[in-house]
Amino acid sequence: MNRNWMIVLIAAVFEVAWVMGLKHAETPNQWSGTGIAILVSMVLLIKASQKLPLGTTYAVFTGLGTAGTVVVEMAVFGEPFHIAKVLLILLLLGGVVGLKTVTPDKKTKGGA
Amino acid sequence: MGWLYLILAGLGEVFGVAGINRINEKKDWQSYAIFTVGFLFSFGFLTLAMESIAMSTAYAVWTGIGTVGSVVLGMLFYGESKEWRRMLYMSMVLAAAVGLKLIS
Repeated sequence: MNRNWMIVLIAAVFEVAWVMGLKHAETPNQWSGTGIAILVSMVLLIKASQKLPLGTTYAVFTGLGTAGTVVVEMAVFGEPFHIAKVLLILLLLGGVVGLKTVTPDKKTKGGA
Repeated sequence: MGWLYLILAGLGEVFGVAGINRINEKKDWQSYAIFTVGFLFSFGFLTLAMESIAMSTAYAVWTGIGTVGSVVLGMLFYGESKEWRRMLYMSMVLAAAVGLKLIS
């Protein structure tokens, strides 16, 4: 795997970390960690997207982030598996990935 | 209330991203203000939304609203294409978000 895609993967791990933080953080330390994770994931994503095609980068990042939150929610926080919910999230992800990849690849007009 | 917060969080993200795009073109204080306020608003309301909505649902819908919002903004103000595939993908996101609301 190319080094820039590795950075996208690490950015997605930090993304899942801050999502967990927003939902579950209680202590000041946990909230600071959440804030840092938000910054790290943004900076890494921007860094990677300067070297990689923008639409594809965001699509892969969003896909990893979404899959990560679904898996973590079930594996770590014991949320039961709802097939309807997972299918709807997949439909939503399909739409987001489609929009990111079909959108003209201009550096100044990307989505998040 | 959770879903209203989630929609506001998604709109905040659209502003935050619009701020990033502006910073790329013009590094004045207004660009940084739009970026900062947009994302503070976004993460603040996302936190409130997650008090009542599951983490994965909230995250997916937040990303979906942010993406669709940015595309709509591009179509309205930057003359980006309104081709059928983009319309189809947007309807997938919106239909899925409505479905998630109905089952949650």
